[in-house]
Amino acid sequence: MKVIKKVLGEDLRQYTMVLALVVLILVFNIISDGRMLTSSNFQNLLSGNAYVLILALGMLMVIVIGQIDLSVGSVAGFAGMVMAKVAHDFNLNWFVAVLIALAIGALVGAWNGFFLAKLGIPGFITTLGSMMMFRGLVIWISQSISVPAPDELRFFGAGYMPEWGPAFTGMNNSTLLLGIIGIVAFIYFELRKYKHSGEISGQKQPMWAVVTRIVLVSAIIAYFTWLYGTGREGTSFPIPGLILLILVIVYHIITQKTRFGRHIYAVGGNKSAAALSGVNVSRTYFLTMMNMSMLAAVAGILFVGRSTAAGPADGTQWEMDAIASVFIGGAAVSGGVGTILATMVGGMVMAVLNNGLMLMGVGADKTQVIKGLVLLLAVAFDVYNKKTGKASIIGRLFPSKETEKK
Amino acid sequence: MQKRKIMAMMLSVVLATTTLVGCGSGREGSTNTSDEKKTEATTQDTASDSEGEATETATATEGFEEGATIGVSLPWLGTQNWKEAETMFTEELEKAGYKAIVQAADQKVPQQQQQIESMIENGAKVIVVGPIDGTQLGSVLEKAKDAGVYVIGYDRLIENTAAVDGVVQFGSVRTGELQGQALLDGLKAEKGDGPYNVELFGGGPADPNAPNFFKGAMSVLQPEIDAGNIVIVSGQTEFTQCATEDWDNAKAQKRMDSLLAGNYSDKEIDGVLSPNDGIARAIVTACEDAGQPNPVVTGLDAENESVEWVWQGKQYCTVAKPTQDLVAKSIEIINSLQKGEGMPATDVATDNGKIEVPIYELDPTVVKKDNIKEVFANDPDRMALLKD
Amino acid sequence: MNENPLILEMRGITKEFPGVKALSDVTLEVTRDSIHSICGENGAGKSTLMKVLSGVYPYGSYDGQIIFDGREMKFRNIKESEQAGIAIIHQELTMIPELSITENIFMGNELTKSGLIDWNEQRRRTVELLKKVGLSVSPDTLIKHLGVGQQQLVEIAKALSKNVKLLILDEPTSALNEDDSANLLELMRGLKEKGITCIMISHKLNEIAAISDAVTVIRDGQTVESYEVVAGQVDENKIIKSMVGRSIENRYPEHTSNPGEVIFEVKDWCVEDPEVEGRMVCKNSSFYVRAGEIVGFAGLMGAGRTELMRSLFGRNYGIYKSGTIKLKGKEVKLTSVEAAIENGIAYVPEDRKNLGLNLLDSIKKTIVSANMKKILTGGLLDSAKELAASEEYKKALRIKCKDVGVGVSTLSGGNQQKVVLSKWMFTEPDVLILDEPTRGIDVGAKYEIYKLIHELADQGKAVIMVSSELPELLGVVDRIYTIFEGSITGELMASEADQESLMKRMTVTSA
Repeated sequence: MKVIKKVLGEDLRQYTMVLALVVLILVFNIISDGRMLTSSNFQNLLSGNAYVLILALGMLMVIVIGQIDLSVGSVAGFAGMVMAKVAHDFNLNWFVAVLIALAIGALVGAWNGFFLAKLGIPGFITTLGSMMMFRGLVIWISQSISVPAPDELRFFGAGYMPEWGPAFTGMNNSTLLLGIIGIVAFIYFELRKYKHSGEISGQKQPMWAVVTRIVLVSAIIAYFTWLYGTGREGTSFPIPGLILLILVIVYHIITQKTRFGRHIYAVGGNKSAAALSGVNVSRTYFLTMMNMSMLAAVAGILFVGRSTAAGPADGTQWEMDAIASVFIGGAAVSGGVGTILATMVGGMVMAVLNNGLMLMGVGADKTQVIKGLVLLLAVAFDVYNKKTGKASIIGRLFPSKETEKK
Repeated sequence: MQKRKIMAMMLSVVLATTTLVGCGSGREGSTNTSDEKKTEATTQDTASDSEGEATETATATEGFEEGATIGVSLPWLGTQNWKEAETMFTEELEKAGYKAIVQAADQKVPQQQQQIESMIENGAKVIVVGPIDGTQLGSVLEKAKDAGVYVIGYDRLIENTAAVDGVVQFGSVRTGELQGQALLDGLKAEKGDGPYNVELFGGGPADPNAPNFFKGAMSVLQPEIDAGNIVIVSGQTEFTQCATEDWDNAKAQKRMDSLLAGNYSDKEIDGVLSPNDGIARAIVTACEDAGQPNPVVTGLDAENESVEWVWQGKQYCTVAKPTQDLVAKSIEIINSLQKGEGMPATDVATDNGKIEVPIYELDPTVVKKDNIKEVFANDPDRMALLKD
Repeated sequence: MNENPLILEMRGITKEFPGVKALSDVTLEVTRDSIHSICGENGAGKSTLMKVLSGVYPYGSYDGQIIFDGREMKFRNIKESEQAGIAIIHQELTMIPELSITENIFMGNELTKSGLIDWNEQRRRTVELLKKVGLSVSPDTLIKHLGVGQQQLVEIAKALSKNVKLLILDEPTSALNEDDSANLLELMRGLKEKGITCIMISHKLNEIAAISDAVTVIRDGQTVESYEVVAGQVDENKIIKSMVGRSIENRYPEHTSNPGEVIFEVKDWCVEDPEVEGRMVCKNSSFYVRAGEIVGFAGLMGAGRTELMRSLFGRNYGIYKSGTIKLKGKEVKLTSVEAAIENGIAYVPEDRKNLGLNLLDSIKKTIVSANMKKILTGGLLDSAKELAASEEYKKALRIKCKDVGVGVSTLSGGNQQKVVLSKWMFTEPDVLILDEPTRGIDVGAKYEIYKLIHELADQGKAVIMVSSELPELLGVVDRIYTIFEGSITGELMASEADQESLMKRMTVTSA
């Protein structure tokens, strides 16, 4: 036990959800005769859920500031529809269409942010209004007819990285490169942290723990590199997955390493105290809502890319999936608590569950029932553990970096 | 500072390699290596080579083993016909010796996309797709194609992709023709000599079938309108004018109310072209409310309530599209594919935006009061409705 | 059989939490019809003892015996202790603001007639109860329309409605101003005469001295001393000595200030109430503070002290009407808290839990939270710098904690206040405004905070200290302004002032 603690950090409870995810994957893999852990299935898992996970990134920040955004699905649908419409009807270049969609996301976010930050109308009500408005607008501008999207967008929604370089690697070399970069970066940061670890608090962590951690994480990255890299020729780690990965890194840094990130947690934890510490509360509200809608537009674009057309019902109830991911990841309804990485784990639990049940041929009806139960149980377990002071399942992947937040 | 630089470097390296180095060869040039994955991939390639030629008659292919897995993805189970389809597919496919995966997606496009992917993962040889939105399955169906899976559209056209081998449906233009003809027959039988005062209704504009129903009906009615035997009093003869958003009965009833109020204060209405049963009943109700004599109204789907109305004479006719026929045709195609005989021949094809898709059309049945007992002779549930 | 002179005996009470022994072998004997004070530092175990008594911790979860009114009691919950005649009034008021006095008093014990609430009877009884506690307002008044002192009285009325024999008041005056406090103490004396025994937990030694018949001191979960006293003749220093376990010769550290130039000057400052149009909460306030000087602001609660300070701190409160701020001789416009911080002003709010801290945060995140620019490396927060800064303050201010990574919610009040002070010292301010910096903090920690304030002044900072405890002001600051109804009514050198002269200016306008 002590050994494990040394490797993973003091706070083992943060790994409960990760552990649940691993168990879930392995169990489904056994039940489905190994059809879970295949290249193509994991490619599907990422391409098929990237849009929800991207929404969850923004939703986490919204929930941390103590608000909720119900309009993300409608906004995603609206941005995607406008993009398809302008590209189709006015023959605009796909790139311009994408920019227009992102701009719409920003505008809608500013709209939501204005009502929340400047007029003080709770986010729930503001975004309930937007949810109806933009759902209506999607149907209005599309007249309930699906619009085909530019072909180039397919690359973002369902594309793969190119094949290149030597063939002896036996896998997609783009994926291989990505994996190598991941491993090298992890080793670099671990060693740097190791170097700094003794300087202030006086106690250096043991070298063997660092090495074990490096070996463990590298093995995991290597395994997934192999899994994604050895799929059917022409496939690789999927582009939507790559976009997600980049966004996760960017948002992890924003929330943990920037002043704006700290402001989000401060506002969610205690608004008045934050205001008295020099945090511009209404600006924080505004930017968080704006960011959410922009990510909604990104999600909408990816989805349209994957679907090859924008439909009038796109985005229906996506907000619910995003919110569920955030709460399974251990965020608090009252705000101030939650992390990007834990949210991603929460989202992946939902995605793997969905995927595994489909592989087993379970229908959509029963899948819904099971997903609902899992959400409830995960949060109940979390609340129960917090009450009794025992382990909490708020997952944080790398607690050695950030042990402070519970 | 340093950290940021490194992060930026990492990202740019990934992006640069993914975009610029696309010219290299990688695994594509390595088919001669003895890697087993490669061999598998090449056989699949041959299988999917038939894509573009699918419009022609039976392409000989290799077929697949008996008892193979067949996937069926349905939009939802919210109405009678889809629930029937689910039960029939499960039963019939298993009777034919296949392993059936029948799933419904609760009207959610992402759910259906993922279901189709999981069917591919499960090694399905053929996937029958009743799409929620026929335009939104492009990339997943292409994945199916790449994996050598046959894709058959069910009941609705699959658009905006080349990755579809054929579509089984009741001919929608043909359905419209039958509706138009039935309306004409009804008018002659019930309303004496013309000219007849008639109004037209279309289905939901989002449904690709709706304009076809209308087109079919107009092909019968237009000559009569031109000859002056039928008068469209409101003058609304374009599909966009007559369409009913989302097939919404309430919207149809509102339109009928205003048509009657605006045009029929001094006239009687003789007949209405209705695209389905729900709208037909809405029209009949509107006419009753306006004090008009019961007009000749067509319908579609043979819904229980309308079957009763036809029997009582309130609705002139409906058109039945037995799910049984669709399922039987689908399984016939699957059997042909299994034996290696390829897609059966058909001479109908439709442009879906990318390719000409072969259509396997079935003829629906017009149900009127005089033939209703024959049509439903084998359907005890509906026979029970026909009380005296 | 009721002739037992003791109404309550608690014998050998021991209560353990996982890893901590909160109470060990505590004995408490309370005489019938008396006022019994319990003192002790924060965390000494007073509240735990009262929770044992009132059944919050059910029988079986502690060791020892409770004998109430001659019988051994085994309370399983609060309801049972209430039925026995024990009522507790908590530090935090538990009234529902949107409901009326009547509704609140009978909440959970509604009087019914044939299944429906008997409003007339409830109202009649409420009027009676309100008369008993000396409150003359309509029973239909909503709680939110009452002042804090009045709410406290309603709480007591509620307890009386349950035929209480023993009333426990947990820091009853901590949120009250001088007048209301005096009222409350008077009421307690009246209750005693009516045959209701009171147990009072308090930090305010002057109040204890004024009304107690007996005092029990608890330290580190043990009874240190328990003796009878004569109200009005209590030796405060003796109590302090047993509370902290050492004698504090002087409650206020010695200090001589060396004031320099005037660096903070406010002229004709006017601020309007954000809720009530036309009502001014600050009226033409003008004052100045020199570098290295400690200036006190004395005023009763509601006099506008906090409002003045918060409006100066980047217009955090109220609607700015007119007035100027000069920093080091230069006029500045501080329209946001951010701007105020950038110009070297820091404000430590009076309400630590609601305004001073994000209780979800760790110590180190809190310390850097008002000046994150200082720990940026290449635009990103540097956790090494953060750790270094917080370790530095932990050492300098002797913050008692396992690790600066733990949450601030795990700290005691005094240590929390030190964290808040660290947070503002980290912004390197020239002007430090401290609003009630020692509220809810025990005597030992108060002494440390006073020393810290002196150190800050010695570093050449201008320190403003707002306090409602006059002895504290007189003991710590150099110069005192008095405030009454939004106006500054006087300015006195601390060396020349005494409590009476201050109080006079705090209650009447000098004009």
